[in-house]
Amino acid sequence: MNIFDRRYETMPRPELEQLQLERLQALLARLRRKVRRYRESLADLRVESLDDLARLPFTTPETLADAFPYGLFAFPLREIIRLHSAVGPEGRPMVIGHTRNDLTQWSRLAARQLAAAGMTANDVIQIARGRAAAAAASGYLLGAELIEASVIAEDPLHLDYQLAMLQNYRPTVLITTPTHALDFARCLEQRRIDPQSLHLRSVLLSRNVNPQIREQVASGLFASVRCTFGLGEILDPGLCVECEAGQFHINEDQFLPEICDGELVITTLAREALPLLRYRTRLAASLRREKCICGRTGALVEPGQRLDRQFRFREITFYEAQIAHVLAQTPAAGHRFEVQLTETQLTIAIEISQDLFANTLTSAENPRRQIELELLARLGLEAEVRFVEPKR
Amino acid sequence: MLLQVRNLRCGYGSLEVVHGVSLHVAAGEIVGLLGANGAGKSSLLKAMVGLLPAWAGSICLEGRQTRGQPAWRCISNSLVLVPEGKMIFADMTVRENLLMGGYHNPDRNLQLELVLQRYPRLAERLHQLGGTLSGGEQQMLALARALMARPKILLLDEPSMGLAPRLVEEMFAEILKMKDLGVTVLLVEQNAMATLRIADRAYVMETGEITLEGQAADLLHNPEVKRAYLGAAGREGWEG
Repeated sequence: MNIFDRRYETMPRPELEQLQLERLQALLARLRRKVRRYRESLADLRVESLDDLARLPFTTPETLADAFPYGLFAFPLREIIRLHSAVGPEGRPMVIGHTRNDLTQWSRLAARQLAAAGMTANDVIQIARGRAAAAAASGYLLGAELIEASVIAEDPLHLDYQLAMLQNYRPTVLITTPTHALDFARCLEQRRIDPQSLHLRSVLLSRNVNPQIREQVASGLFASVRCTFGLGEILDPGLCVECEAGQFHINEDQFLPEICDGELVITTLAREALPLLRYRTRLAASLRREKCICGRTGALVEPGQRLDRQFRFREITFYEAQIAHVLAQTPAAGHRFEVQLTETQLTIAIEISQDLFANTLTSAENPRRQIELELLARLGLEAEVRFVEPKR
Repeated sequence: MLLQVRNLRCGYGSLEVVHGVSLHVAAGEIVGLLGANGAGKSSLLKAMVGLLPAWAGSICLEGRQTRGQPAWRCISNSLVLVPEGKMIFADMTVRENLLMGGYHNPDRNLQLELVLQRYPRLAERLHQLGGTLSGGEQQMLALARALMARPKILLLDEPSMGLAPRLVEEMFAEILKMKDLGVTVLLVEQNAMATLRIADRAYVMETGEITLEGQAADLLHNPEVKRAYLGAAGREGWEG
């Protein structure tokens, strides 16, 4: 077993629970002192055991979006050395900040995942994020540098150049999104390039996928496949480690997980810049605390479906409200629409009316193309726009 | 876990100064406890060894509850405090001071030999009165006296206080050597930087509460550590 941080990853449960209690108490003391919104909601609430967690108030994605940009930060901006954005409820923006220590911690947590996936200083790692996952890519970079692997610091957008890098730089590990990995596999097949001619031995996917997709990537790129599971607002990668037995272990020395009404709720125990108390992730999940053959003691989490109306297409997450916002900048402003999503196709079906074409002499083609370009430019979404008759 | 403290409260009269503190120390660790004057660090140590009554909470040494036990029992349990300001017996010789430290230890004469091997400077001054030693030597004597009790865990309260800068360095080097002896250390200090350089982990305490826990190397970069050390209130969160 490749365990990067044996002390914390395999900490016996009584010791882990003591550490969690200490960190939770310290977190509450910091929140009361440093974040006005928590100071008001926490008042004199204190915890004497982990069971008392249930008495503490939740933080919701709406709270985080309401506090945009820096309202929940526990440090002044001069101490924040990196800012990332995340998509909040209904597409509202959220800002995630990191202090120097946050980044140090992130590098260790990412390194835990990379080590668990068998990566070492002998590996050459290519991080290909495609159009999405810029923040996650920076986390993998931190982890890869910490394990002293050789990281290819180039990430060309075009598949041709990425393929050339796979052939020329000979990376042994590819860290990428499932969509991008499948694109790679398809590209190799179309060009009749034998995946065995590459030097890949391992592919780490940026999110959890079903066994069929794992198999497709594994056979298409002739490499073993591992997945990560994280959440942008909390930490991605870094929330969990997928172990050798294929289980997601929450890094419980850093994150205290709960399941409330079937929803995964996370308290960040050691984050400095943006500590979150009982953050409702809007993700269904189940949690088990049982022994795993890998030796790690962190709770096992099985992620499920989103509980909000968040969509994902080719790794880009979006909400209906964002589509409406983009449409508002086009001739389709104010028209009713429907998002139709399959594995391979995103269609925005817009109900037409006469006024949509009032200024168009030729056909529906121009506004359709204009809307598609707007969706691509503003949200990065490669969607097909279709005009449909209004529903009665 | 060698030492486990949970929700400890203590104070003086009706004034609570430690508000439900939890911490732990694993065997072989050097753990720092940092904070400004009046944060409650020394009171916490005193409550751990029974010199100050603990109002609530638990103190477990190797899984056994020690809260409520008198101070002399704590020493028998190998939980030994080196108090702030050295507190050596000024009118006793170095030898007598050391033997007082091993009062409960039937093998104290053997232990004395081991301790003197470790501190040859004290061996040279064995029959000198404690009060006539220099400040650095007195602090060394306080440390050596604690070792006479064959501690599993040493609680050191401000060992660098009042020492010249060169002696402070020596003192911290000496504490680091405790690891080789298999002695675990909980070190209360205002000298945050020096403590974090030798400690494995550390806690930061502000006005009776722990506000931070982490690896010592990480806390070295934490601006809150500086604030706690300087005694500022640290209410500097973004108030947007």
